[in-house]
Amino acid sequence: MSRVRIAIRDLTKTFRQGPREVPAVSSVSFDVHDGEFVAIVGPSGCGKSTILNMIGSLVEATAGEILVDGARVSARPAPQIGYVFQKDTVFPWRTVERNIALGLEYRGVGRSEIDARVREAVKLAGLEGFEEAFPATLSGGMRQRVALMRSLVVNPEILLMDEPFGALDTHTKLNLHAELLGLWAQRHQTVVFVTHDLSEAITLADRIVVMTRRPGRIKLVYDVKLPRPRDVIGLRESAEYLKEYGEIWHALGEEFQERAS
Amino acid sequence: MGVWAWRIGILLVFLAAWEYLTGLKAISKTPGLYWIDPFFISRPSAIAQRFLFLMSDQVRLPLWRMALSTVQSTLWGFLVGITTGFVAGLLLGRSDRIARVFDPFIVAFNSLPRIALVPLITMIFGFGLLAKIVLAWSIVFFIVFFNTFQGARSVDADLISSARFLGAGERQILRTVIVPSALAWTFASLTPSISFALIGVVVGEFIGGESGGGLGYLIIQSLGTLNAADMMVALVVLGLIGIVMALGIRQIEVRLLRWRPEYQKR
Repeated sequence: MSRVRIAIRDLTKTFRQGPREVPAVSSVSFDVHDGEFVAIVGPSGCGKSTILNMIGSLVEATAGEILVDGARVSARPAPQIGYVFQKDTVFPWRTVERNIALGLEYRGVGRSEIDARVREAVKLAGLEGFEEAFPATLSGGMRQRVALMRSLVVNPEILLMDEPFGALDTHTKLNLHAELLGLWAQRHQTVVFVTHDLSEAITLADRIVVMTRRPGRIKLVYDVKLPRPRDVIGLRESAEYLKEYGEIWHALGEEFQERAS
Repeated sequence: MGVWAWRIGILLVFLAAWEYLTGLKAISKTPGLYWIDPFFISRPSAIAQRFLFLMSDQVRLPLWRMALSTVQSTLWGFLVGITTGFVAGLLLGRSDRIARVFDPFIVAFNSLPRIALVPLITMIFGFGLLAKIVLAWSIVFFIVFFNTFQGARSVDADLISSARFLGAGERQILRTVIVPSALAWTFASLTPSISFALIGVVVGEFIGGESGGGLGYLIIQSLGTLNAADMMVALVVLGLIGIVMALGIRQIEVRLLRWRPEYQKR
């Protein structure tokens, strides 16, 4: 097995709500290996986004530790980490190309190299003709493409994605799944992808961490055995997909039922 | 163009009615008794005559110089007001502590009617251009300040996080996230600011006397001589200045905020 990029040990997070202490994540441990695509699924409120935010230094852990490439996460996110938010975080006052250029500008990359890399990214994302457009004129799917390319253009080795396609319609979502898999096939970044959509997790991931409802613990870790490259549309009709979906759905279903009772 | 035909039509009908009605005498043989007395509201023909006269060199302080003085002080007050208001708003907006400490002072000063400050400002800065600029500034500053303050406080935390993930340092975050978000709010306050700057200047001119010049001075002077025509000239010119300035600022605003959905060309 390849080396461990992210090691999570007994990770616990408790939020304070006035006098009450609300446990969000309770002793979660798992590893993410180099080049692996891991999805975290679970019912809403199970703390899956909180885990991601703790890896990305957006939220501080109450107990336990997270090691990214052997180093404990600190107040600032590790430089090898890229993050794609669920919410639209494209800067509205910058055009598409100036948004994609952001990370390169921050790193002090030269003008001509920025231009070349942005042009390449625009092409990869199929955003040609929209370079000068402001985000307000784009559809939700296109804006999320810009956000994705903006994160990828600085070549992060680790990519954290927090329900990045959650707000999109099914059709747009499937297109972006195909694009994401295509981009990932080229560089094999280490990805942690949070979603509540089980079919999305199976389509994309090598491994799925299924969480219990709050406080979130690991219910099971499932290895997706579907071969790659995957056809995001045809896949859903295959017997293996349906079998895997059924197995995980059973485990998730127990969590939904417990909540209902 | 149908809209413009209507607008011009309405203006012409209004002017004609004004001219006609102020010419009707109540008792035909007695001079000075009108249904609507031109003594109070003058007549378009008289206003036009006075306009030409006041523009000419026959008066000590020609109209165009008064208008220029008003425009000049307005623009200065506006410029200084938005710059200082923006800096103060950004500073206080980004520091909870400073904002909390200064809050009561700001509320107190802002709730003070600005017109009450006119005599004091005149006492300190004299009767000239400077007093008018200070007055315009004191109004514009708070409009811009409160807007920018609000803007700086409502910067989306996720935008800051996403910049940080892209490798931004604190200064880069300030430059590429906080300042642009706050500026959006500042720009939205430009149009009201220019109108209020003009108000401040005219009020300053009311008591500024001849050395301060300006259209406000013409209005007060006309009150002294009970000359409605001169007063109307001043009001018309002020109105024109107000329209031109507001339209100009609006153009700048549209250009600066062209990324906003509500400013997109349809």
